[in-house]
Amino acid sequence: MSQTTQCPTCGAILPPNAPAGLCPKCLMQVGLESQDQAVPSPDAVAPTMDQTHSKSLPNITTLSSEFPDLEINELIGQGGMGAVYSARQIKLDRQVALKIIRPESADNPSFAERFNREARTLARLSHPNIVSVYDFGEVALKSENSGQSRTLYYFLMEYIDGANLRQILQAGELQSDRALTIVPQICDALQYAHDEGVVHRDIKPENILVDRRGRVKIADFGLAKLTSDEDTDHSLTGTNQVMGTPRYMAPEQMESTSNVDHRADIYSLGVVFYEMLTGELPFGRFDPPSMRAAVDQQWDEVVLRTLEKEPQRRYQQASEVKSDVERMSESKSEPAHVSTESGDGTNKTPHIGFCIFGGVMSLIGLPMFALALFTSVNIVFFWLGMGLAIAGPACCLIAMAESSRLPAGTRPHMGVLALALTASLVGFGIVPSRFLLGSGLDYFNPQNAFVWIAIGLALGGGFFCWIAWEAQRPKES
Amino acid sequence: MEHDFRSTHWSAVFTAGQGVSSEARQALASLCEIYWYPLYAYAVRRVATVDEAQDLTQAFFTELLEKNFVGSADPERGRFRAFLLTAFKHFMAKQWQKEKALKRGGGRQPISLHFPSADSTWQIDPSDGLTAEQAYDQQWVIALLGQTLDRLQRESEHAGRGEQFAALKGFIIGNHGETTYAQIAEDLNMSAAAVKKSASRMRARYRQLLREEIAQTVSGTDEIEDEIRSLFRTLEG
Repeated sequence: MSQTTQCPTCGAILPPNAPAGLCPKCLMQVGLESQDQAVPSPDAVAPTMDQTHSKSLPNITTLSSEFPDLEINELIGQGGMGAVYSARQIKLDRQVALKIIRPESADNPSFAERFNREARTLARLSHPNIVSVYDFGEVALKSENSGQSRTLYYFLMEYIDGANLRQILQAGELQSDRALTIVPQICDALQYAHDEGVVHRDIKPENILVDRRGRVKIADFGLAKLTSDEDTDHSLTGTNQVMGTPRYMAPEQMESTSNVDHRADIYSLGVVFYEMLTGELPFGRFDPPSMRAAVDQQWDEVVLRTLEKEPQRRYQQASEVKSDVERMSESKSEPAHVSTESGDGTNKTPHIGFCIFGGVMSLIGLPMFALALFTSVNIVFFWLGMGLAIAGPACCLIAMAESSRLPAGTRPHMGVLALALTASLVGFGIVPSRFLLGSGLDYFNPQNAFVWIAIGLALGGGFFCWIAWEAQRPKES
Repeated sequence: MEHDFRSTHWSAVFTAGQGVSSEARQALASLCEIYWYPLYAYAVRRVATVDEAQDLTQAFFTELLEKNFVGSADPERGRFRAFLLTAFKHFMAKQWQKEKALKRGGGRQPISLHFPSADSTWQIDPSDGLTAEQAYDQQWVIALLGQTLDRLQRESEHAGRGEQFAALKGFIIGNHGETTYAQIAEDLNMSAAAVKKSASRMRARYRQLLREEIAQTVSGTDEIEDEIRSLFRTLEG
């Protein structure tokens, strides 16, 4: 069917992705016509019930009768496509995971064949970082309501006693040094699978399991391909370009499923890596990890290279990512400057220049204060004003400079700005007033100018120190 | 008692407060999987490059599904179609604010959202003569119909009538060119009367499925007809 055909019925120009090649307008028209006929039963249209969608899960008893060798314990996870149960393989007395899948295309006659082909490939994958497939097959389950039987496909898999990366991330338990032990293991698994010609296509934290010993196990290899209607008529809906929520997907994967290779996995790995280091996902003009979190700059290059939009500019092999990650881990610098005392993960290296400046001011100021207690000087306003006039703009500059150096989204120190502006305005007002008004304001003369100068310098110095210190804290935007 | 994947309305994710059920999340995620493309089509018309549109769309769904970001879109009222677009517009505005702040501080280029005219209703894409909102609605209809026809096809195949579906789908809208029932009857080795009956059954089922799919996106069954009419109007423009 040509891409710019007209509808033979209504003459409208068909959009390129017209569903099933049919005219959307006519299809809606048919929907409209039915208004006075075929009023559906309330059950059929209530958003709460959808029997025909055949996505409902079988209960454990029904399922158990189909798997006499298994003792099925409980549902441990479910998604849009199926569910995972924990079970015990009676004869071998081992824990297993039973994954039931019910993809959209399961009723398609070609699916069974495709399932068998893919599942055999997956069962051949044998790697310590990949969840092993013990067995696979299909079972026909009778639906309790309609009596119709429907086919479910299953995988019997290695049971992983642990958590998935999403759960770990959400619990906030992931230290960045641990992230660096996870990434190479993912790389190993990916490299092995890629060498075997298997692309995962759906790398995301939910599919990355970590067992109690910290070993990474990747689940659902190739399942995305199996369920994405690869072999079926894509022109049917035109809306099936991509399966799933496009969050970890490589750009080329969003565009189409056809020209996706193993480098899409490398991109997804990059997204996971970025998320592990920063807690955020890299979208838009995202910042390198070091600007979002206390991460050493050397990691930026690795992460950004996995996240290149053009597949050919990315790492070409998962093993390359691994060797770079390991090389950097070994070269002493941990990705995060782990705080030595407070342990709150913030970067405590203060800006040396500011600190010296502030320190000198304080060192001058404090002896002056002491001196002032015994001396009498009479030009308070001049010194005070001068001090404020200099310190004020300086504070402004610093406050502004920080906002460009700090992570994106950080505002200038608004408090510092307001204070500094006020200080400089007052200062600039007072200094000329001394000359313009003569001694007009001198009646406000406390006995000892040194007190004022010293207090000003001491406060100002401390203030600078604080700014310098504070500016180095990574901001939670 | 069988457990249904879509037994809870999507809006529960935003209205149930703390105790959000995983079913509600699943319902929302399923809807997003069906209807993300219309948003992307909208985004493509609002930003300068396809890259940016992809980024925005991805980032939006992340915020929506993980942080429940909806801006001031009200999930309780109205339909999923309007809700999703409103939430997306808020999200774009937020992104734009963020970029603007960045530009002040970091001297970077802001993402080139065509934002100065916050309402793009009058910006028509010369290539197809559609505004971003119209493109959104049009792609929405296509996604909806695609999902409906997908289900119809799966059902047919499940019942062993995959061939019938392929041969008769054009009859749903009366678009079958020169083909007649008699010819199809011959091809499928059925009687002409049976083919005709099968076609009309398929058509009725199509209508029902369409209503079921729309029911997922509106707040009550009484809104279904209205939504059909409103969707039909979007195609007439």
